[in-house]
Amino acid sequence: MDERQHYYINGIGIISPQKTFEHDQFLQEICAYESNVLTCIIPSFKTYISPGQLRRLSRMHRIGLTAATMCLRDANVQVPDGIITASGYGFLEETEKFLTEMLERNEKQLTPTYFIQGTYNALAGLIALSTKCLGYNNTYVSKGFAFENALHDVMLQLSENSTSNFLVGSSDEAAKVLYAIGMRAQYYKVENIPNLKLFDSQTTGTIQGEGSAFFMVSGAPSATTWCAIKDLQMVYTPQHEGEFNLALTSFLEVNKIKLSEIDVWVSGASGNIEHDHLLHHLEKTVLQQTPQIRFKHLCGEYCTAVSFGLWIGASILKKQSIPDILKVSTPEFSLEKIETVLIVNQYLNRNYSFVLLKK
Amino acid sequence: MSQRVFITGYGIITSIGKNTQENFQSLTLRRCGFGELSILDTIHQKDLPACEIKLHDQELREAAGIKTEKGYTRTALLGLLALQEAIHSAGLSLTDIRNSGLISATTTGGIREFEKFFYQITDLQQQGDFDQFTDTANPGEHCERIADHVGIRQCIATVSTACSSSANAIMQGAQLIKAKKIDRVICGGAEALSKFTVNGFNSLMIVDPEHCRPFDNTRKGLNLGEGAAYLVLESEALVNQKRRKPLAELKGYGNANDSFHLTASSPEGTGAFNAMNLALSVAGFSAADVDYINAHGTATENNDLSEGMGIQRLFREQVPYFSSTKPYTGHTLAAAGSIEAVFCMMALQHQIIWPNLNFSSQMQEITISPVREMMQNTVLKNILSNSFGFGGNTSSLLFSLV
Amino acid sequence: MQQSIEELTAELREQLIEQLNLEDIIPESFDENTPLFGEGLGLDSIDSLELVVLLDRNYGIKLKDPKEGRAVFYSIRSMAEYIHNNRAQA
Repeated sequence: MDERQHYYINGIGIISPQKTFEHDQFLQEICAYESNVLTCIIPSFKTYISPGQLRRLSRMHRIGLTAATMCLRDANVQVPDGIITASGYGFLEETEKFLTEMLERNEKQLTPTYFIQGTYNALAGLIALSTKCLGYNNTYVSKGFAFENALHDVMLQLSENSTSNFLVGSSDEAAKVLYAIGMRAQYYKVENIPNLKLFDSQTTGTIQGEGSAFFMVSGAPSATTWCAIKDLQMVYTPQHEGEFNLALTSFLEVNKIKLSEIDVWVSGASGNIEHDHLLHHLEKTVLQQTPQIRFKHLCGEYCTAVSFGLWIGASILKKQSIPDILKVSTPEFSLEKIETVLIVNQYLNRNYSFVLLKK
Repeated sequence: MSQRVFITGYGIITSIGKNTQENFQSLTLRRCGFGELSILDTIHQKDLPACEIKLHDQELREAAGIKTEKGYTRTALLGLLALQEAIHSAGLSLTDIRNSGLISATTTGGIREFEKFFYQITDLQQQGDFDQFTDTANPGEHCERIADHVGIRQCIATVSTACSSSANAIMQGAQLIKAKKIDRVICGGAEALSKFTVNGFNSLMIVDPEHCRPFDNTRKGLNLGEGAAYLVLESEALVNQKRRKPLAELKGYGNANDSFHLTASSPEGTGAFNAMNLALSVAGFSAADVDYINAHGTATENNDLSEGMGIQRLFREQVPYFSSTKPYTGHTLAAAGSIEAVFCMMALQHQIIWPNLNFSSQMQEITISPVREMMQNTVLKNILSNSFGFGGNTSSLLFSLV
Repeated sequence: MQQSIEELTAELREQLIEQLNLEDIIPESFDENTPLFGEGLGLDSIDSLELVVLLDRNYGIKLKDPKEGRAVFYSIRSMAEYIHNNRAQA
């Protein structure tokens, strides 16, 4: 009776700085980057988007719409019941193009295309148009909470109608202008670091990433189910280690999950020694006995990077294997049966979240 | 059982007033905010008048009680002022605030400051006071800043669905309360005018240099505006603990996508119809229960046709009174939904229907026309408030007298 | 010397393909009389706004009302004729 509702991931489409768009592979080939900026490995867009539509889409719209289309195909869903997208900075390349054109032309003779493309809800609108979806449509732009807000919204919508199929996804781009902002704000590392050495770093700052990941979420499982999402919680600006650890233990308690039941936890460590400190503390305390994996060396850091982490978690549960590239040495991984995965993400040491996944 | 959702307070700032009382007065006196721009630095100050709040950022800072802290964008300042009034109006204590959520909406966030300091910020060799606006150009920033300022720690979210944004913020808040995820959420939106939006909408050729005329046959486009408004949403359980009577109940909400074109609404008003219809069905109402519609009514050729058709299709022979308040405040984009929700609260409290200014000639494609004069002493129980946007986003909220 | 209508059509074709990213969708049968909107090339309202700016930027011709553009932007030929007749004489 008190069994809480589960939400099933019945399809995924993901484009990232790794070759993630083919589901028969799970990080078998790894892309190494020498600079601090990781950009998407892209498939042929023409397989997914008509030429008529393609001509007016920016690079990131193409990536997002393709990831969404892959997800629909993976889930065998033609028209979703609702679409929710998430992005921290939106389509910054296009916003910047309109802005610089406006400044350079002194506000005269401006074309609207970049202005339209830069709109935050453009991707959700495009997906609605290309799937002819008249249902629920929303876009969250809450920095490091954007994807969690979107996922949480899906769970709310499904609690009102559990058989619906909701398409939820992220998109954030490694825009040059964001790199400038990030360097000034000291978000990125000053020194150059190969991405695969990110976690050897003992400095502040991280590396810039990007990507788009879409998930088909429903209240009911299907033949294409990857895993179930049991629960999600956000923690905003935890003040100290005690508060954060308590938030996690209460979250697990509410979900009746014992620490020993968690087979692996996915850490959203970003390679910034200061911002990662609560996660480092977790691995030494509450999650000391739990095998840990990390992923941001593969996709870089961006507002909605947790969506890459969700794909990692879902893939581990579906494929029952963990690629070595993700593993943090201790403690030992026992790979007999993986049933429960916990994702703990952080963004800028402000936006924290827990996502609990079940086989 | 799911929880009912009540509105227990609100706050507002627009070009027709910096608080509830001033806005109410302006509405009753037909006083509009439309005029030449003087605060925003643009070449279009004279040729593209808009509804600007005639307060400089420094004056907004003082009004919000910000002394030395840096990095407050105009959007954040407007939002903070409206939020402070909402908190006061609902009588929230510091503990109440800590246990509240904040769902805010914006389409531009701090783009106004970004466009001003763009060349300095992106040139890493330069240093200076502009540094405070390094990372304020993203939409989520204003929400976190406001939350941090007043001490909100739960449930922080920013919505951006173009001109329907704050209606969706309110809807999300209502759904969170209904599902018992939280007992109190402050929802709304904030939007400052910027060169970016003025030029963007101008490039779409939908800005009328004259005062806008919603639902009029001669309408030529919208006037832009700026402002912010927030509503305090509380659960039935919380309201029952208090002695104060809530202001209204949020009975219904609908969110749909028009799925027609990225920047144009369907001529038959599919999205508008679906959003309003959903709001009615969530409330368990029929069309005949609606006493007044606060229309989106931007005065663009496309919106008013689409919305008018949607209204006619849903209400058939019994179209309720409707009006657009955009001539008063201009189109405040992401903030429009919450600003107009506040106007609906005032309408319910005072039993007044706000006039649709500047209407003189009947649209040819539809047979209905908006309310032209302020109507008092009508019986208002249930009001629909529409907010539609680019990307096909259409939302409708249904407020009821308690 | 003013450009002839033929020279203008050739020039416009290049400008349109570039400005509206038509490379991948332009059919072999496309010529100066193919309708740009609707059944022809299938351009839409955003394209017509792009064309308004193209006229302004490249030929110094301002269209105030987007509706005015419907006849002007019917085809490349009609655009060329309009430019030919309305261009400010140098």
